[in-house]
Amino acid sequence: MTDGAQAAAGVSSAAAAVDPILDVDGVTLQYKTKEHLITATYRVGFKVYPADRFVLLGPSGCGKSTLLKGVAGYMTPVEGNMRLKGVDIKEPGPDRVMVFQEFDQLLPWKTVKQNITFALMNGGKCKTQREADDLAMQYIKKVKLDRFEDTYPHMLSGGMKQRVAIARGMAMEPDILLMDEPFAALDALTRRQMQEELLALWEDTHFTVLFVTHSIEEALIVGSRILVLSPHPGQVKAELNAHDLNHGNMSSPEFGELQTKIHDMLFADRILEDELQGEDA
Amino acid sequence: MSTSDKKIPQLVIRDEFIADEIKDAHTGDVAVELSTLEKIWNINGVRKASILLGLVVIWQAYTVGFDVEPLMFPTFSFSLEKLIADLLSGNLPPKIWFSIKVLIIGYSAGMVIAAVLVLWATASRLGSDFIATATAMFNPLPAIAMLPLAMLWFGLGTASLVFVLVHSVLWAVALNTHTGFRNVSQTLRMIGQNYALTGVPFVVKILVPAALPSILAGMKVGWAFAWRTLIGAELVFGASSGSGGLGWYIFESSQNIETEGVFAGLFMVILIGIVVENVVFRNIELKTVNRWGMQR
Repeated sequence: MTDGAQAAAGVSSAAAAVDPILDVDGVTLQYKTKEHLITATYRVGFKVYPADRFVLLGPSGCGKSTLLKGVAGYMTPVEGNMRLKGVDIKEPGPDRVMVFQEFDQLLPWKTVKQNITFALMNGGKCKTQREADDLAMQYIKKVKLDRFEDTYPHMLSGGMKQRVAIARGMAMEPDILLMDEPFAALDALTRRQMQEELLALWEDTHFTVLFVTHSIEEALIVGSRILVLSPHPGQVKAELNAHDLNHGNMSSPEFGELQTKIHDMLFADRILEDELQGEDA
Repeated sequence: MSTSDKKIPQLVIRDEFIADEIKDAHTGDVAVELSTLEKIWNINGVRKASILLGLVVIWQAYTVGFDVEPLMFPTFSFSLEKLIADLLSGNLPPKIWFSIKVLIIGYSAGMVIAAVLVLWATASRLGSDFIATATAMFNPLPAIAMLPLAMLWFGLGTASLVFVLVHSVLWAVALNTHTGFRNVSQTLRMIGQNYALTGVPFVVKILVPAALPSILAGMKVGWAFAWRTLIGAELVFGASSGSGGLGWYIFESSQNIETEGVFAGLFMVILIGIVVENVVFRNIELKTVNRWGMQR
């Protein structure tokens, strides 16, 4: 705990000079199913600063995806507020671009390039088609998909589709890129490759990203700062630093220690439950 | 749960090995070329054409072989001759054109009304309920059953035909489009909203292309309904406006006991049906939903 507190203090003093891009304050999100009103998150607060690779981490049911949808503007909080650059978030908009887990987030009737130019033109990023084409090609090259720009999405592999979605999001150059478990549907090898590529892209421009995952390992590799959420309803358990950790030092003791620490945080309750059940039986 | 006397298989530990080099895979007989005959038989059109040819042969053989009365059942060749003669003499083409013209007017009107209804249904729950209720009511009702009413309201003429056509197209297209819209994935909707699309641009740029397979299916069903309905309606009063359509041609031939003319008219109805289905709609599908991988 003291380690975390010190690290947090160190960061906050450095960040005092910079304003947060995203300020989430005491946010409670609820949604209705046919029979229930479900509280997904309860009074969650965090701040995302420029160039953060901010990860929302938690088991299923901790409301991390709901929280991301709230930031994207698809849901309105029943309590608390969310501000992007000081302005309340009211509806979805191209200043916060979402990258989803599902492969069907690409428009199947548009080619790789058209998928990106579609976003650029409708999102108001580019005024002319030529401008959009140029910018799209630039980002297609960044995600190493040149030669595939005129291909329709159904011809691409899962990893390639996700790269197009990332290129589309980045080409918009949003204030913050929102990624909802973007690699969860990929096989392990492709996932690792995509994580590396994302970090390499981040090195180029230090864009701000809010990344949702349920994998502790992925959080440590991708994230610079990790918000750990507990489930039912989602509440903040901890905010930790992971900016030193990546694929290169996965076998280092620090990586292992942090992994264990988060694991214990998330599953402490469950272990207790299991033990109780064991005693019952 | 308990350890029974049932034997459980044990692990067999073997030596490890690593291949020093991977030799070229031997790919000699993996693909064997099909014989020319098999290749030809694999072409869809060839198989279907041979079925048609078979039917024609049976027809011709029966009528010629059993010396059937031509007034009742003319030979295939005689009916075909009549069709070609009437096409060349200029007797048939204006009738075909009349039918197609009415069809296009009725079909387009039906599509426009369907579009308006579906837009309403997309914007409000009441509209959605209206489509569901109206389709449940009118879809099972054969369009031709509206003809007597249409004749009362609009008289004997093109207006009545168009009315019946609209009725036959509207519900199939509206229902399919509406269902297609509702099945558009939540992810695609959120993508559209993310790039600031709302209202009609959202419908046109996201919902319509995403639901195109279902819209096209509706248009095909609507077309088939409309074509049948039109020919049926023309059989009743096609000639009122002077020229008359294809259905009238069939009716007229039957009145004049020119059975070969009846067959010639039916050939034409079938032919146009096949062309629209297999050329017009097929090409639209190939250029859109098939190309986009939304339909196989």
